[in-house]
Formats: sequence, structure tokens, C-alpha cells
Amino acid sequence: MSNIKIKSKNLNVYYGDKQALFDVNLDLNEKEVTALIGPSGCGKSTFIRCINRMNDVIDICKVTGNIEMDGMNINDKDLDVVSLRERVGMVFQKPNPFPKSIYDNISYGPKIHGKGETKSELDQIVENSLKKSALWEEVKDRLDEPGTSLSGGQQQRLCIARAISVNPEVILMDEPCSALDPIATAKIEELIDELKKTYTIVIVTHSMAQAVRVSQKTGFFHLGKLIEVGKTEKIFKNPDNKMTQDYITGRFG
Amino acid sequence: MNFVLLFLITIFSLSLFFYGRSKTKSISIEKNIRLNALPKFYGYYLVLWCSIPALVFLLVWSLFEPVIIKSIIIETAANQGAIFGDKNEANLIYEKIKAIHLGTYFGDMDSILRESALAYAKFINLFTNSKVVLIFGIIIASVIYSLKKIKNNNKARDDVEVILKGLLFVSSLIAILTTLGIIFSLLFESIKFFSVINIFDYLFGTNWSPQRAFVRDASSITAAEFEELKDAFGFIPLIAGTSFIAFIAMLVAVPIGLFSGIYMAEYASIKVRRISKPIIEILAGIPTVVYGFFAALTVGPFFRQVGENLGLTVSSESALAAGLIMGIMIIPYVSSLSDDVINSVPQSLRDGSYAVGATKSETIKQVVIPAALPGIIGSVLLAVSRAIGETMIVVMAAGLAANLTINPLESTTTITTQIVMILVGDQEFDSPKTQSAFALGLTLFIATLILNYIAQRAVKKYREKYD
Repeated sequence: MSNIKIKSKNLNVYYGDKQALFDVNLDLNEKEVTALIGPSGCGKSTFIRCINRMNDVIDICKVTGNIEMDGMNINDKDLDVVSLRERVGMVFQKPNPFPKSIYDNISYGPKIHGKGETKSELDQIVENSLKKSALWEEVKDRLDEPGTSLSGGQQQRLCIARAISVNPEVILMDEPCSALDPIATAKIEELIDELKKTYTIVIVTHSMAQAVRVSQKTGFFHLGKLIEVGKTEKIFKNPDNKMTQDYITGRFG
Repeated sequence: MNFVLLFLITIFSLSLFFYGRSKTKSISIEKNIRLNALPKFYGYYLVLWCSIPALVFLLVWSLFEPVIIKSIIIETAANQGAIFGDKNEANLIYEKIKAIHLGTYFGDMDSILRESALAYAKFINLFTNSKVVLIFGIIIASVIYSLKKIKNNNKARDDVEVILKGLLFVSSLIAILTTLGIIFSLLFESIKFFSVINIFDYLFGTNWSPQRAFVRDASSITAAEFEELKDAFGFIPLIAGTSFIAFIAMLVAVPIGLFSGIYMAEYASIKVRRISKPIIEILAGIPTVVYGFFAALTVGPFFRQVGENLGLTVSSESALAAGLIMGIMIIPYVSSLSDDVINSVPQSLRDGSYAVGATKSETIKQVVIPAALPGIIGSVLLAVSRAIGETMIVVMAAGLAANLTINPLESTTTITTQIVMILVGDQEFDSPKTQSAFALGLTLFIATLILNYIAQRAVKKYREKYD
């Protein structure tokens, strides 16, 4: 059994008066892929946004309860969000490369954190990140072209490269393939398999097939509650909860 | 008479609307057929047919009636022995005849004038009568035609659609033709100007003193006068003054406008935004003449006072005062345009930046502003073209003397100010001085046209990227 990297305890999230998460207790294992599934609006994205405090951006959002990474309380008011996000990267639903060159898209993060002080160090970081995201071969000759000129699947891999450029420990992926075609999706999934050797990955997905393919552990959310969590195999073959059973067999959702 | 006709046409049209509506309704019930359109469309159809041909006829008639009567009257007067050397004298006689007819003529009266006035009265009468008869004829014809149409259950909905399309087309045509008319009048007057003053003397001359050009007739300029005029219309001081004041204005407006736009878009809470945005936009609603006397009476003297205290010579009409106030006037344009542009940068870009650990100001500086840059440049260029075309503030606060200077404390002048100075008061239409205003107007127009074009291209390029 691998180590627990992130541990949430009685995590509640409110958007104004509306409660979005109810007492979520979920452990994420180190160097493993955890998939979060559930119908739209069930709180899975809200949950992963708690891990890198992206909910801070939303004024009316309030988070209570405990969420720890390696024993450090993420939800602590005094926590330095910048260094937290250095350790927890994120990839979004729609590829969102900056309107900058491919090179600058990757070097953006390291520069912010003061990594790669010389040009050659920075070059190295960019090259490594692109190699890890399996994009290097496709773009190595056109690093100064704008990131937006790439295809959708390439853009998403660029965003993954951007996330790993600051050398995080955890990567959060919020439906990373929902805007991509099946071939681009296959590439990203392959990449996730590769990345889990180095990083702890949490992926939100609407595709049950994808959850089965990429994850070792699966959590099922419904209406803001974590209904069931367990090994992916078990969740999809023999879930304990009737609701999980109904969801994965397509009876609702 | 025309008003009576208009009134009658309106009354007819309205009653036809109700008639058509109820008539078609009863037809459909009587014959038990399905109408091809709602009854009200038949009403519209009748209204349009009753009014448009008559109105168009009335318009055309009113345009041509005076011209035709005038030529007839002048001819009859000439036949009776009136002598007029040129067109102006003929016009004068015609005006006299008209005045006699209206009973407002008190000058000398001779038999020619009297006879002509009688003829004039006769023609006016004839024309008015035939106008009324023709209009009623047209109305009757078109109403009969359209009534026949609706009795046959025509597709009134489509027909109304076609007529309305035509009306809208004519409206836009009028707008376009007016623009073209203005451009051509600028162009032709400018060509007259450039036939006297060499275009290169104009474009590259460094001396502007149009008051030297009190030559009465451009065609009778002597060689000496021509030499005198040659360097009276140098455009350089004006464009220099204009750009200089616009530059000072942009120095004020761009940073303040941009920063307040950034604050509004990125930092202000909804509540602050709701209150402060309209307040900033009030600045745009202040009439420029108010800014003008604020600049001339408050800011200008204030700068002079400060300058005196510092031992500097400050003219009370200075480029600095005008530029500063103009900058304040332009702030809301820059601010609200850049606010819009920044708002339309997708949130996903900001999220992407926050997710790698960037702070808010890093995100704004390195992601949001670069993404919004084409739009921001567009808004700045629009503001520049506004600054260049602005008139009232500079007329009141910048001064009139065309100094070629880069000292912001001295008075300077702009293209718009000079146009105002040239055309205020009495002027003669064929003196190069007056015509130079058209040349200035044309130059200004071309300059702002180019700026607007570039600005719109920039904004469009930006839109394509994110929509």
C-alpha cells in the first residue's frame, strides 16, 4: 500500500448560501492516479480546486474542514498559496495556453518561482517539461511560435508541460480530455500513465471508460457528497453502493 | 399647402389601414378562404401603397418646382426686356419678383417687375393646382391598384416585407450619400485651394499665417502676391501643435485610463464597480465647452501662477493646460474600452496563471495585459483620434498663434482651432484663406480615418483570437 499524499477530513465548501461539498473524507495515494466521477455539479471539480486553493479566486467561496498534504494543512489561512501551487499543479478542462510563444508558456512558471536563473537552465527546464509531456518531438523546432497555434490535443499537452515545469508533487486534472478528440485523448491518457511514476495525479472525468483506463482508485461523488471510494476495479465491478452501481451502469447521470 | 397634403395623405393611409384589415377579414369569412397573410398585413399593404408613391411624388415635385418656376420667370422677364449681365443679377431680379408676390418688396417698381410678378403668381397657382390634382390622381390610382390586389388575396406579408426592405435600403443609402457628399465637398474645395497653393508648400511649409491672404479673387493673384502667399499656408506648425497637444493628452489619459480600467476589471468588487463606473463615465458626458473654459479660466492661469513662483515664463494659454484637460476628458474612453477588453480575456487564462503559482499582479502583468494588448492599443488609438479631432478645449485653452515649439508652457495651436478661426465671422468663399479650412478639414479627416482604421483592425484581430 502506497503512502497517503493528501488527506481531506470533513471538508465542506460553500458558494454563498449554497453548500457544494458535504463532509468529504478522501485520501489520495502518492504516485497513483485517483479518478473522481459523478454527474455534473456533484462537487468533484470543487474538491480538486480545494487542493491547490483555486477556490480562493471566487470571492463568495468558503471552505471549512481539514485538507492536508504531507501533514501540512492546506486550508490554513497563513499558508503561502504561491508555494502551495508550486507543489500542486493543475490542468484545466479546456486547453488554456497563454497567448505567448510555446517556450514562454513553459518558462512562465519557473520564472515566477525563481527557478532557472540562467538561459541554459531555463532551456533545460523547457526541454524536460516538453519531453515529459510527450510534446518535444512535435514542437522542438518551433518553440517561438505562439502556443495558441498548436492543435487542441497539443495545446493540452502544452498545458500539462506548463504544470510540470515547476516540478510539482501533485497534478490536478479537471476533465482534461473533454475538449479533445479520441486520438488526442488516447495520447493524454498514455501520458498520464507515464506521469504517475513521478507525480500524484487526481483526475476529474465524465468518461467512466477513462476512469477505468487510467486510475487505480476511484471516488464517486453525488450532490456534493462522496458516496463511495475504493480501488477502481472494485468500484466498477462490484460497488458497495446502489447509487454507484446505477451511475456506472448509466441509469442516471 | 404641402402640410395640408401631408395631413390628408396621413388620414387616408390610416383609414385605409382599418378598411383593409376589416375588408380582408370579411372577405375571408364570406368566401370561406384562408388568407395568405394576417389581416393587419393587408392594412399595412394599403397604407404603404397609399402613402409612399404620393410622398415620393411630393418630394420630387417640391425639389424641382422652384427651379422650374425660376427658369420660366427669368425667361419671361428677359422677354419683356429685362437686362441682366450675369447669373447673380438674374437671381436678384428673381428674388425681387418673389418679394413683390409676397408683398414684402419696397424698392423701385417698374413695368417689367410688375408684369413678371403677375406671371409669377400665375405660375405658382398653376403649379400648386396641378400638384394637388396629380397627387390625388396618384393616390387614387395606387389605392385602386392595391385594393384590387388584396381582393385577390395577394401575399401581402411578403409584399410588405419587400417594401420595408426597400425603405431601409433607401435610409442607409441616404446616410452613405451624405458621407460621400461631405467628402466630395471637402475634396473639391481643397482642390481649389491647391490650385492656388502648391500642395508641397502646404504640406511642408513651416509658417502658418492665413490672415495674409486677403486676396479677393484667387484667379487674379499677381506674381508678387503669389510669392507672398506661398509660405503663408505651411501645415507643419499645425500638425506639430496638434500632435503635441494630443501627446500630452495621451500622457495623462493612457496611464490613468488604463490603470483605472485594470482596477475596474480585475480588482473592484461588484459593488464598487457598480458605483464608480458610471461616475467615471460622467466625465465623458461633460460638454467639451465646459472642459474648455475650465482649462482656459482655471488650469491655464493656475499653471501661469505656479510657473511665476518657480521663475518660469508660462503663457496663460499653454499646450500643457489644453493637453492636460483634454487628457482628463479622454480618460473615460480609455478606461471603459480597456475595461471591456480586459474583461473579455477568458477567465481560463487567469486560472492557468494562478495554477502555476502566479499572484494577481503577476497574472495581470504577464498574461492578461499581453492578451488584451491589441484591444488596448485599439482603444488608445481611438482616443488619439478623438484628441486630434477635439476642438473646443484647444480653441479656448491652447492659443491661436501657430508657434512651432516643443515647449509645453508656450501657447500653440491645432488644426481644429485654425479651422474655427478661419471660418468664424465674415469670410469670402473664394479666398485661399477660406479654402484652406477645407484643406485642413480634409487632412484632419484623412488622419483620423487612418487612425480609426488601424484601431479597428487591432480590435478585430483581438476578437478573432478569443471568440
